[in-house]
Amino acid sequence: MAAPLELYSWKGDWGLPSVDADCLTVLAYAKFAGAPLKVHKITNPWRSPTGTLPALKTGEEGSVSQPSKIIIHLRKQKYNADYDLSAKEGADTLAFVSLLEEKLLPALIYTLWVDAKNYVDVTRRWYAENIPFPLNFLLPSRMHNQQMERLRLVRGDPMLEPGEELEKELYRDAVECMTLLSQRLGSHKFFFGDSPSSLDAYVFGHLAPLLKIKLPNGKLEQHLSSLDNLRHFCTNILVLYFPTEVREPPTRKMSVFPEGGDFDNEPHKRRNQILSVLVSIGAMLGYAIMTGIVSIKHIRPQGAIESSVVVEEEEEEEEGEED
Amino acid sequence: MSLAAEAFVSQMAAAEPWPENATLYQPLSDEQILLSDNASSLAVQAYLKMCALPVRVSCRANAEFMSPSGKVPFIHVGNQVVSELGPIVQFTKAKGHSLSEGLDDVQRAEMKAYMELVNNMLLTAELYIQWCDDSTAGEISRPRYSSPYSWPLSHILAYQKQWEVRRKMNAIGWAGKSLEQVYEDVNECCQALSQRLGTQLYFFNKQPTELDALVFGHIFTILTTRLTSDALAERVKGFSNLLSFCKRIEQTFFEEADQSSASSLHSKGPSLL
Repeated sequence: MAAPLELYSWKGDWGLPSVDADCLTVLAYAKFAGAPLKVHKITNPWRSPTGTLPALKTGEEGSVSQPSKIIIHLRKQKYNADYDLSAKEGADTLAFVSLLEEKLLPALIYTLWVDAKNYVDVTRRWYAENIPFPLNFLLPSRMHNQQMERLRLVRGDPMLEPGEELEKELYRDAVECMTLLSQRLGSHKFFFGDSPSSLDAYVFGHLAPLLKIKLPNGKLEQHLSSLDNLRHFCTNILVLYFPTEVREPPTRKMSVFPEGGDFDNEPHKRRNQILSVLVSIGAMLGYAIMTGIVSIKHIRPQGAIESSVVVEEEEEEEEGEED
Repeated sequence: MSLAAEAFVSQMAAAEPWPENATLYQPLSDEQILLSDNASSLAVQAYLKMCALPVRVSCRANAEFMSPSGKVPFIHVGNQVVSELGPIVQFTKAKGHSLSEGLDDVQRAEMKAYMELVNNMLLTAELYIQWCDDSTAGEISRPRYSSPYSWPLSHILAYQKQWEVRRKMNAIGWAGKSLEQVYEDVNECCQALSQRLGTQLYFFNKQPTELDALVFGHIFTILTTRLTSDALAERVKGFSNLLSFCKRIEQTFFEEADQSSASSLHSKGPSLL
């Protein structure tokens, strides 16, 4: 029998099995389909076989990275959560996943990665604290730039700047999308009856972060909380399929921060201080050696006595000159 | 489409009736327009015909740069300019013309979802084939796109456009796809649409909606546009109910205009076949 499939995913927090929407989608789908995955919850995307998260390591065919491809791969392995769906329901799945990607995803990216307050206080902070040194200096801002770029291209506007107008536009789309999903869900437990399918995984993956991550600017969360059936849908999946994560208390008090400056929010403050001291000492020493204030002489062991004699002689000479 | 402008537009729109001299702008239909733009333009025309709103089609070489959102087509109604199907639907709704009034909440949610499916898969696939398939881009898209301009501007604009689309494909994860995979996606999308349509006249009962206009615009254009290979059209031809759906809409809403061969000045009321 083949080795179990290995899934690499961002680690969880705030009562979520993973902080990333794509990872959540894949994790939820795997649970729904009953796929026995060996899940590596990591905080360093460079340790993933594809360099991005989530990633599924498969035996022969290498690794796959995009959630849709991972789900297709799992389906091929006979872990199919959509087995009971009719052809029309399959078509509906495709349509609503498109709706999510076009309408909700841009707003999700915006609220996590572009909204200045949310990004500085929560997203960058979380990633900087969890990604191992020294990548934590590099990756969060790189991810920020990537997401901004992605938003620009998806909206088809190269001059796109974060601002009130963009936020309003994206949030209006997202609010409409959530309302449509809520109407579609109605009073059902899942989108297609009593058992979850891949559409449920996608919806859960995109909504649960909004619901659970406590953001200072939580306009989307407010709207989502007002839609009772969607909120129950998310908490229900968390309780039923990820009981261990839910019980785990939130690791940090993320919601309220003292109104400190940027410097106080900087993670690893002490380590940064020590590092900067070390770097400056190194620079000073280097400068001293370069300019000859301090010189290093290489003394061969055999010639040690000789050279010491030379030094003595020099000293004597100097003394002589003084006389 | 800026939000403030849009809110303003919908308020203003409500006050005035639909004027006779409304104009739809699109790139030159014979030598310039590309598959994806043609599909979007046809979708808007079909939608306006379904609403029985008269519009004159005007071809301009610089339509893309005239549009407020940089996308074609756009309509000029009274003193307002609105681009793309979504905002145009909003705009006509504000004027009291709507096709989706009779739907319930679930149906409306499904309609929006399927419209996003067409935008997300069919439109993206069209863009991919136009600009990322080297033979199509070199033989058709770049020469056509830049036909109104002289050298070197033609080259600059065409390559700029191609570069922009390719970067977008990168951002949404389509850059790694092969042409065959894209055809497969088109197939999947058509399969979904075909399933949803089933044997009905229109996607929702007997009354056409904006979804019908959008699907018609894309499928009809794919079927009638010549590309370097007809692989794309072949994929779509496999779905017989989509074919008859397109024929039906063409007969119901476009026939009169075609017969008189005038530039779609005519319009008929939404048909209740």
